[in-house]
Amino acid sequence: MPEYRSAVPGAVKKRRARYRGDALWGFAFIGIALLIFFLFTIYPVVYDLIISFQHFKPLGSTWVGFQNYIGLFHDAVFGQSLLNTVIYTVFSVPVVIFLSFMIAVLVFPLKKWLQTVFKAVYYLPAVASGVSLSVVWLWIFQPMSGGLLNRIIRLLGIPNQNWLGSSKTAMFSLLLMAWLSSEGTNVIIYIAALLGIPASLFESAELDGASFFNKLRYIILPLLKPTTLFLFVTGIIASFQVFMNAYLMTGGGPNNATTMVGLLIFYNAFKYFDFGTAAAQSLVLAVLIGIVSIFQFKILGEDVEY
Amino acid sequence: MKKGMRLISIGLAACMLAGTAAACARKGTSSSASASTAPTSSASAAKDTITALLPPISTQFPQETAQYVKDFETQYPNLTLKVEPVSWDDETQKLDVQVNAGTPPDISFIASTDIPKYVSTGLLMDVSSFATSDMISDFDQTQLQYMKNGNGLYGFPAYMDMWALGGNKAMLEKAGIDWQSIQKNGWTWDQFRQDVLKGTVKSGGGVSRYGMVFACSGVTATDFLAMLVNEAGMPSPFTTDLKYAYTSKNFLTVLNGMKDLISDGGIPNNMDSVDAGARWNMFLTGKTMITGKGLATFEGSAKKNDAKLAAKDSTAVKDSIPVDYIILPMPTFGSFKQQATGEVDGYVVFRGKAKPSDEHMKNVVKAAYAFSSGKVAAQTNSELYVANITSSGREAAKSITVSADPSNAAEEARLVSEAAPARPDISSDLGDKATKIRDQVMVPKFQALLAGEITPQQMYDAVKAAAVAAFGQDGVVTD
Repeated sequence: MPEYRSAVPGAVKKRRARYRGDALWGFAFIGIALLIFFLFTIYPVVYDLIISFQHFKPLGSTWVGFQNYIGLFHDAVFGQSLLNTVIYTVFSVPVVIFLSFMIAVLVFPLKKWLQTVFKAVYYLPAVASGVSLSVVWLWIFQPMSGGLLNRIIRLLGIPNQNWLGSSKTAMFSLLLMAWLSSEGTNVIIYIAALLGIPASLFESAELDGASFFNKLRYIILPLLKPTTLFLFVTGIIASFQVFMNAYLMTGGGPNNATTMVGLLIFYNAFKYFDFGTAAAQSLVLAVLIGIVSIFQFKILGEDVEY
Repeated sequence: MKKGMRLISIGLAACMLAGTAAACARKGTSSSASASTAPTSSASAAKDTITALLPPISTQFPQETAQYVKDFETQYPNLTLKVEPVSWDDETQKLDVQVNAGTPPDISFIASTDIPKYVSTGLLMDVSSFATSDMISDFDQTQLQYMKNGNGLYGFPAYMDMWALGGNKAMLEKAGIDWQSIQKNGWTWDQFRQDVLKGTVKSGGGVSRYGMVFACSGVTATDFLAMLVNEAGMPSPFTTDLKYAYTSKNFLTVLNGMKDLISDGGIPNNMDSVDAGARWNMFLTGKTMITGKGLATFEGSAKKNDAKLAAKDSTAVKDSIPVDYIILPMPTFGSFKQQATGEVDGYVVFRGKAKPSDEHMKNVVKAAYAFSSGKVAAQTNSELYVANITSSGREAAKSITVSADPSNAAEEARLVSEAAPARPDISSDLGDKATKIRDQVMVPKFQALLAGEITPQQMYDAVKAAAVAAFGQDGVVTD
């Protein structure tokens, strides 16, 4: 009994200590972060889920059960947009990551000031407004003779192409834009990861007479695998949500060749006021992204060590 | 010091949250807030505030708004009119967000074709019981009909702007095209095709000047398609017995006609990528004889550029040439009579989630009427080169000099008289479905047709399939 008596005040003291001093401040800061998370993430997701079962009206919505979800299976444009999104993702993310990796590997051995210059140059498109970038790309893809790309291909004897206006080239044009302007953040992350590789590994490899490609294959690639996995997962998530490029460059056309799911969600919500369908589409997209992410961790992350 | 920093951090975070909460709060919407201050009794002199979200209806409108507001508040000393200016690009998006949040302004300016969309939200107000008979009778009834949906009148029209083609007078005459006869008698699609070819100049294996360029990039393709089908006996997506019209063989005739026009080579083969700015630039720089869509106000724009060229002003459009802008009607298909496409824009009245008082509604209607009639309408319409559609506007316009070419003014008036009738009988539900078919099937397929990727028959079949899926076999025209 005496032990018991003495143990209880100790536990209470410990618990009190948890709510005092630094610990209390910690809870206060976590509390704010949690509040923001609930307000701007959890609440919208829950509200989105509710709306997806409704025919939304500002003055009072009506409950329609799974009607919005069932409608998606009969919606040819939604199917087309899913296919377009998958095509865009499959062809944009690996190429962008490969290019980022190559740029990072080439920039890494340079002097620090030169590294900084290149990092700034490649990061510039990420800083620039997407609208400004799109205006420049619209000029590049201009179908008349004044467009930069048409001027270049004319030198090769190829006639003017209607880059954004033909369903044969519209998706390629958006991909080209992604390939050439999305490396900024990835390059920074890759260079940071390269700097984290112990120099001793490179030194011992050099002593063993390893070539550049041997170092690349046996040191850089394995040690950058967690970074690559991270970039793949975040890249695919962002790519599935792509909206701005299609909205500003093609509006989803021609013939819905560049209508992405994100764009369709926007149109349904803000053009047709069909918030129920838009909410259902956004949740289907979220589930798809979740499945793809889990799949990526399973396949690519099996032998990744952190 | 450490504690102070922590307190500051928490305080800043709290401020941020409080600011966010304040922004998200259901603040008094213009209507609900003003409704709360509005009297529920018949004390008409009680103070009230009216809000309006207005785009630059004419180029001078933003500068003139302050005077309009001052005049209104002088006439109604108990009322305060707050106008929030917004660009054309932002207006729809801003208004849509406000409407769906249940906090729209009291008044906004929209195209009458958008009325069904807002009616379906339940926030657009029927003003018929708040407007006086004097207000209603001031408007030309044909244009007033455009502001109706079902039995409700949702605002007042400001003008009817006719959609037409714009021609370069010198080029038309040089090509031997009798534009005066076309203005007077119209033209058929076949005649139009021949004239477009007459105006096309080929050089060095390419085309140095097109016969016609129409903006068909993105949503602008919708305008061209609407103008084409109007002149083929389909002035509305629905027939008078409310069957979907574009499953008619006449629609296929239009598409075949368009394909023929492309094959002739008198228009660019990438017209689906030509946006509104590019086609106007091509017109001013002499790269096309005819442009579309053409509005009456373009005559003023061309004249302004001409004046700049004469004054050697560097702000004139680069490489532009002096242009006399001629309004030309759309050609008609087969034996169909002209049914010109006219866009009626006007001031509509919204409510918020909280029901406004009748007194507030009356005050809002007074403001909407003040904008759409009398001196304000006369001034704005003169700047837009469009006809007044109110008696009070016509009266006020007598003191305003408009420099429109007489033949263009006469053509504009002829097109107004031959405008397709309003269709308030089309429910918002039917309208929504037709809009979705237009945006998701018709326009994308039309762009593919312009790009030469599908045939007219393929487009027709796709539209028919979508229409049957939306309206059922009995809900579409079969001929």
